[in-house]
Amino acid sequence: MPKSGSFIRTSTALAAAAAVAALSAGGAAGAPAKSSGGALQGAGSSLVAPALAIWGPLYSEARGVTVNYSSVGSGAGIAAITARTVDFGASDAPLTPDQTTACKDCVQIPWALTATVPVFNVPGVKDIQLRLDGPTLANIFLGKITTWDAPAIKKLNAGLSLPSTKITVVHRSDGSGDSYVFTDYLSKVSPAWKKQVGSATSVDWPTGIGGKGNSGVAAAVASTPGSIGYVSDAYVLQNHLAKARLKNASGRYTLPSIKSIGEAASLVKSVPADMNVSITNPPKAASRKLRDAWPLSTFTYIIVPHTTAKAKEIKNFVSWALTHGQPPIRKYVFAPMPLVMVKAANKALAKVHS
Amino acid sequence: MSTVDATGETARRPLTGRRVHVGDLLLQGVAGVAAAAATLLVVLIAYKVVDGARPAIEQFGAGFVGHVGWDPVKKSFGGASFLYGTAVTSAFALLLAGPLAMGVALFLTELAPSGIRAPVTALVETLAAIPSVVIGLWGILVLGPVLRTDVMPFLHDTLGFIPLFGPTSTGSSLFTAIVVLTIMVLPIVSSISRELFLGVPDELKDGALALGTTRWEMVRGVMFPYARGGVAAALILGLGRAVGEAIAVTQVVGGFVGTPVNLFSPGDTLASRIAAEYQGAASNLQVASLIYLGLILLVFSLLVNLLAQWIVRRAARRSGLAGARA
Repeated sequence: MPKSGSFIRTSTALAAAAAVAALSAGGAAGAPAKSSGGALQGAGSSLVAPALAIWGPLYSEARGVTVNYSSVGSGAGIAAITARTVDFGASDAPLTPDQTTACKDCVQIPWALTATVPVFNVPGVKDIQLRLDGPTLANIFLGKITTWDAPAIKKLNAGLSLPSTKITVVHRSDGSGDSYVFTDYLSKVSPAWKKQVGSATSVDWPTGIGGKGNSGVAAAVASTPGSIGYVSDAYVLQNHLAKARLKNASGRYTLPSIKSIGEAASLVKSVPADMNVSITNPPKAASRKLRDAWPLSTFTYIIVPHTTAKAKEIKNFVSWALTHGQPPIRKYVFAPMPLVMVKAANKALAKVHS
Repeated sequence: MSTVDATGETARRPLTGRRVHVGDLLLQGVAGVAAAAATLLVVLIAYKVVDGARPAIEQFGAGFVGHVGWDPVKKSFGGASFLYGTAVTSAFALLLAGPLAMGVALFLTELAPSGIRAPVTALVETLAAIPSVVIGLWGILVLGPVLRTDVMPFLHDTLGFIPLFGPTSTGSSLFTAIVVLTIMVLPIVSSISRELFLGVPDELKDGALALGTTRWEMVRGVMFPYARGGVAAALILGLGRAVGEAIAVTQVVGGFVGTPVNLFSPGDTLASRIAAEYQGAASNLQVASLIYLGLILLVFSLLVNLLAQWIVRRAARRSGLAGARA
């Protein structure tokens, strides 16, 4: 317990006891936490896992409630909440109709905002030097553009010396929220992609190799010259991968950042009842202030049953995450949630009861 | 089947006279229950798998097995690419690992200086203890690039006339999976074979050498025939590992849908596809189709096992003759 000293200084003895319990129980992944009072058990998205890693200790310190989270992937998180073996699930892709039916009276609440980013390994081209636009990215992933010195890429990168290296596309082989965001974007910018492939957590990739998880894609990109893939932005920081700039609807070559992700989200004006809001490829910004919006931004969701014995704990935790929880996760490139989404989230949260 | 064996065994070899002991009854009971439980478990698993795959079976029928394609968006699934990948990767892995494992086992029992036997044996067995996820990671980060830049181009240049060794694409390929599987199968086969070779009676070996055979002739004429049945069984165990390995393969095989003849192109196997997609399946039909893949895997393993048992029985008969000759 390296931090127990600071716990005791800043909180009551009760909270410290809970924190100690949290530290010791943190490793127990996937175990259902039935009615152990001040504890919540969650499972799902690996994209949001860094946020929960920060929230866990903070929330336990602030409110004395332990939050355990297993980063098992969005699909597994949905399966776990469907089976009610956890108190909440977390997913980056909104529930599909099949999943909504199976989960029986579940509600998805957006609670964090982050992004996916294309990463590349091209000899002679450094981080953030490469510029791409939606149609070009789609054609690369469709296998229509096969070398790095293809005219379509050269046109966007005047002044950059591109090698004739063959392009190796790297995608996720497992079902993932990142794939959902990525294919959702490609479907919006390329009719050919929409018709041939479509958007989902896993699709029939026309070309390329699959890597398992963000780590698999990162490893394949890092070890394959000429490759291009996509990973969660939080993951790029840890792995020193080269990011590509992407042209948005305002015609600007942007990069993911708190600011550019926030700009994409700020274009949301109204929220549908099922909270399913796609903010990929945001429309051309009306004001200069919002023109850097990152086109591969996404909300990530917590999934809870409408009726649950832990209603009070879940409501408290999610409200806390939507307010106090947002600033500490900025360093992992989670942008603050826009007000309209927070309002909608709170409204949905109010309907959760025991 | 196992229950009958247990009964037969006690009947054949009563411990003392013909009196029935409580201990015997107890042994028979416990062994019988254990065997019945194991059988029941397999039956239950088979039932559960068939039950889970039912939506996909109803939708696609037996055509699923022969259909190449996997499109979660259009909900059109088929198992042929993965069945192909499983067969190709495990067959080649066994082809590579078999002779290598024999070499390792012979070296450790007959040829190695006594000082290095123990450490090398321990190291080879440590290889079996490395978690597959670690081997897989090593596969993408270290092995893949080496194969892509050196080994694959070399094989393509020298043996390129064989369609198996086509042009190189990336470090993630069927070939990478084969090499990874070879590494995982090797320690299993070699350590069992080593035990078998150690079990060859010294009188037989000494007798052969006394008759003037060279060491190689002794190995070929005495040790191989004596251990043949066991070695075949070890190869089957290795094959089981190769067919069922999921995580390490998922990491290096490239997750490609199709039946490429070129080993240097990406592909996928049954177990690997299930491991990759089961957690993130988006529709009920996709889940059912993945379980259908599991069913194919189950049947495939069963067939391979039956075939292998037949081979073992044949080999055992022949080795019995050879043993009598020696």
